[in-house]
Amino acid sequence: MTELKHYFAPTSLDQAVECLKDGDVTILAGGTDLTPQSQAGRVKIKHTLMNVRHIPQLSGITLEGREIRIGALATITEIMEHPLVKEHLPVLVEACDHFASDQIRNAGTIGGNICNASPAGDTLIPLLVLNASVELASMPEAKLYRHSMPLSTFFVGPGKTRKSLCELVTCVRIPVPAENHVARFYKHGTRPALDISTISIGVAGTLKDGVMSNVRVAFGAVAPTPVRASQTEQALEGQRLDAATIDKVAAVARDEVKPIDDVRATAWYRKEMIHNITKRILSHVAQA
Amino acid sequence: MNVAEKKPRIIQPDSLIGKRIQKMDAPEKASGRTRYIHDINLSGQLHGKILRSGRIHALIKSIDTSAAKALPGVHVVITAADIPDQRPIGVAKDHFPLKVGRVRSERDEIAAVAAESEEIAEAALKLIKVEYEDLPVIGNPEDAIKPGAPLIHPEPHGADGTHLHLKQGTSIAHKGKPDNIAMRFDYAHGDVVQGEAASDVVVEDTFKLHYVTHCCMGVSGMIAEFDASGNVLMYSNTQVPFLHKREFAEYLNIDPARIRIIQPPIGGGFGSKLDIYPFEVICLYLARAARRPVKMLFTREEEFLASPTRQPVLLTLRSGCKKDGTLTFRQVHTLHDNGAYTSWGATTPFVMMQTFSSLYRVPHCDYHTAAVYTNNPYAGSFRGYGNLQATFAIEQHMDMLAEKIGMDPLEFRIKNAQDAGEVTGQGMSFKSCGFKDCITTAATRSDFSRKFKENAANRNKPGNIRRGIGMASMLHVGGGAKIYPSDGCGTILKMDDFANVTLITGASEIGQGSETVLSQLVCEELGLPISAVTVVNNDTAITPWDVGVHASRTTFIAGNSAIGAAKKAKAKILAVAAKKYEAAESDLDLRGGFVIQAATGEAIVELSKLLRNLHFQDKAELVMTTFYYEPPSVHQDKGFKGDVSAAYAWGTQVVEVEVDTDTGFVKLVKVTGAHDVGRVLNRLGIEGQIEGGVVMGQGYAFTEDLMIENGVMKNPNFRDYKLVTAPEIPEMDIAFIESMDGEGPQGAKGVGEAPAICMAAAAANAIANATGTRMFELPFTPEKVYRALHGQTPKLYWKPWKAE
Ligand SMILES: Cc1cc2nc3c(=O)[nH]c(=O)nc-3n(C[C@H](O)[C@H](O)[C@H](O)COP(=O)(O)OP(=O)(O)OC[C@H]3O[C@@H](n4cnc5c(N)ncnc54)[C@H](O)[C@@H]3O)c2cc1C
Repeated sequence: MTELKHYFAPTSLDQAVECLKDGDVTILAGGTDLTPQSQAGRVKIKHTLMNVRHIPQLSGITLEGREIRIGALATITEIMEHPLVKEHLPVLVEACDHFASDQIRNAGTIGGNICNASPAGDTLIPLLVLNASVELASMPEAKLYRHSMPLSTFFVGPGKTRKSLCELVTCVRIPVPAENHVARFYKHGTRPALDISTISIGVAGTLKDGVMSNVRVAFGAVAPTPVRASQTEQALEGQRLDAATIDKVAAVARDEVKPIDDVRATAWYRKEMIHNITKRILSHVAQA
Repeated sequence: MNVAEKKPRIIQPDSLIGKRIQKMDAPEKASGRTRYIHDINLSGQLHGKILRSGRIHALIKSIDTSAAKALPGVHVVITAADIPDQRPIGVAKDHFPLKVGRVRSERDEIAAVAAESEEIAEAALKLIKVEYEDLPVIGNPEDAIKPGAPLIHPEPHGADGTHLHLKQGTSIAHKGKPDNIAMRFDYAHGDVVQGEAASDVVVEDTFKLHYVTHCCMGVSGMIAEFDASGNVLMYSNTQVPFLHKREFAEYLNIDPARIRIIQPPIGGGFGSKLDIYPFEVICLYLARAARRPVKMLFTREEEFLASPTRQPVLLTLRSGCKKDGTLTFRQVHTLHDNGAYTSWGATTPFVMMQTFSSLYRVPHCDYHTAAVYTNNPYAGSFRGYGNLQATFAIEQHMDMLAEKIGMDPLEFRIKNAQDAGEVTGQGMSFKSCGFKDCITTAATRSDFSRKFKENAANRNKPGNIRRGIGMASMLHVGGGAKIYPSDGCGTILKMDDFANVTLITGASEIGQGSETVLSQLVCEELGLPISAVTVVNNDTAITPWDVGVHASRTTFIAGNSAIGAAKKAKAKILAVAAKKYEAAESDLDLRGGFVIQAATGEAIVELSKLLRNLHFQDKAELVMTTFYYEPPSVHQDKGFKGDVSAAYAWGTQVVEVEVDTDTGFVKLVKVTGAHDVGRVLNRLGIEGQIEGGVVMGQGYAFTEDLMIENGVMKNPNFRDYKLVTAPEIPEMDIAFIESMDGEGPQGAKGVGEAPAICMAAAAANAIANATGTRMFELPFTPEKVYRALHGQTPKLYWKPWKAE
């Protein structure tokens, strides 16, 4: 059982970052990671438990210029059902559609998924191939300070990110994909719902006249963090999507990843799945 | 008097049998009103918690509870040292509730706390200091039988190596065991050497069955209270209240008459509540020491860690047949992982040998089992009781033998299937037997033969999806099982002045729908609507004796008992009516709440009115009857032979799958079942029972896997222990074969365990049909199947071994 010393539910971003200043704070959003982790003793709740759910600046999904801004508090369900996301980012909808169960999707947030930094986090793979950036807020002096970084540099290890103890994630920003954009996500587990990915794969790029460019490939659950796969990307960049290319790219992908054995699968099987499913995704893209 | 009343009222014949009748407890459960043990709180109650070892195999060097005792809000802290009269518990009396000197598995109970709140109790556990000295771990049964293997139950010695001089006793807990063999079974009929000599083909394979656990939605719990006179009241979810009453009395060293067990509605049983576990005895110790009621509830993690499991089995099967398809012999050796202590799991060979000896006609059969001690979780009883494991091996060999002799697997099975009237080598006598009907019905409804051939022909076509179809059949006791001195059940039936019935039965309701079926059977005799019945079935101070809910026996045994009591009530009522209305008893009947003329259906008198007359005017008498039903089965002899059940249930399931060869993912598409249930009593209930059983079998076959590595449980949570979820449940087509058993209540036989038994075997056969690859090890997770498909699974072989 978790013992709480101090609970705080700010109603503005300023209050929140002010509270974060001393660093001895645990942030609570949907609680779908935090609750089981603290119950199991893997995470200790710090001096203050800060519930960020009442901060309006953290919510909403909007189009800002050529970027879609998804507030940190957007739940998986909200994202899945939002017209902007459906229109421009179907690959993110696809990932949400394989995320947990209805109950968890109604509570779990994208900010939580990002900050939990699980190598198997399901929104992270599409966000990586969509070239998302993450916005952080803090109060180094007496003033609110925001800055952004590419999501691809945000993750450091399982549960570890570049976010400092005094920072809060406010939103992610995703460039609206250009013409001829294609993107695919595939989650492989043992069942259709309520499953942690054994591996997951995201592929995105521009497909014109059968040739892939601006390629981004990301893999989940094969490394300490969700990863971009630069060798695989290179192998695919500028290539025509024919059978030989697809075979070659799939082989590069298999060799590039360095997964581990755990209760869900062995490293060998994960590498096999990276190969087979990369191949399957690319074949689908080629045929579409 | 108006005109309408003069016209004779005719009551049309009606029957409840075979109808779809809503379970009596459904409205309460569906609306969340049911009060489970979790919802019950007694005033003055304390909360109990157990400290578990966390070590796998170790000597206990010291335990210091002083800081825990000093924590405000803590009432009692106990260890084995505080309970000098501890008696060993379990099927083999091989462990103490609170461990003495040594821990043998991760879940072992070291100390317990009763405190004002769960939080305080938990905080107190953290203050208990235990020093251990680790011992070598036996993580699998093959290591346990190696010469010189460390002993799990050596003569008990204390931390300093001196003999513990426990109170004299003959149990294993007191005197230890010179080897790691917990239990052994040896069975034979015929002569397998002769059988093998007569065979044209012989196959031998090793099969490996894994750990799974019940995953009851309601976690285990109990409340214990001693009254001022020292009488014990327990709220318990046991499936066997009367046996446990006796056993608890023994552990507390008191007269069984002083123990009363009340069973609140249960959140799932499936065999898990058939034994007494340490937590129950510890809860009693705490209540005794605290002189307050103590409630103990498991957390979900604890439920995984400290609940019994299905027994893992390593099994080598050798089978033969002639070219014409006649089975010649079967030889079986199995090694069961007993875990650190012995519960009912060790006795599953009773059921396994029935399948080996008698599912098909086999002239020669030889069977050997050893259940051996390891430092793993200990195995209990679980729906199907060994039969899932036995059927997994047998039914794969049926396909493999058929393939070897080039015979259609369906034809091969029918050729060897049992018929009504046969007495098997094990002495089981099949009075009703719809086995062949089950096979042909399931095969026809699923179009088995055509699909089987087509799938095999399509194996090498392009694409990554392979379709497969497979079948398996089962035999299980369906009329009780005579294991204890009595396999009976008592009923008290009471009718009130309004012709309502109170049915007081020894049979426990554990969600299987027994209340509803028993009420139906009573109403059928007394011509009453189901709403006229109230069932009382959960208090040993009120209900008559019953051996317990196991062996798919309740409908059969308690049903016959209820019918017996209802028949006696009916006879009394008709005798009274005959006298009063000057008719012959045989010309009267009960129907629609009236006494009627049997021939015409004409109503003579309202039953309630007749009962009031009897009570208040004529004779000052009530209608209250009792009945005890004992089935005409017999105990097995020393060689395990005898007609142990009054009836036997049969079933065939056909499973259709799609295998993705790129990922190893197997999609369960459809299950077609045909079950010989004797007769359908409650159609809605039996459909639910079969569907639930199929899903449980599906979990065993495909997704559930309690991973134990060197005694450590890797996945005590629902994230990584994968129960089947709703979208995975396949289409089902279930047919019922009504063989009308002569001894069964209205012709019915037991069906509780049957539907879970065939799934894994049929799924293995379907995967083989789809891919040409045989799966010898459960569960069929994507990775296991993928490995097998890609030649990455070394052939399993366990050399047959039997205990000296
Ligand atoms: C049954 C179950 C199934 C699940 N299935 C999946 C699945 O299929 N795929 C998947 O990816 N995940 C799954 N999860 C994990 C979890 O639901 C997701 O990671 C979810 O997105 C977490 O969001 P949350 O709002 O609940 O986070 P919380 O639990 O509230 O927080 C998670 C972490 O992020 C921090 N945090 C949250 N918001 C912020 C913020 N704005 N700024 C800074 N730090 C913050 C918290 O301090 C905490 O460390 C599952 C969880 C459960 C219980």
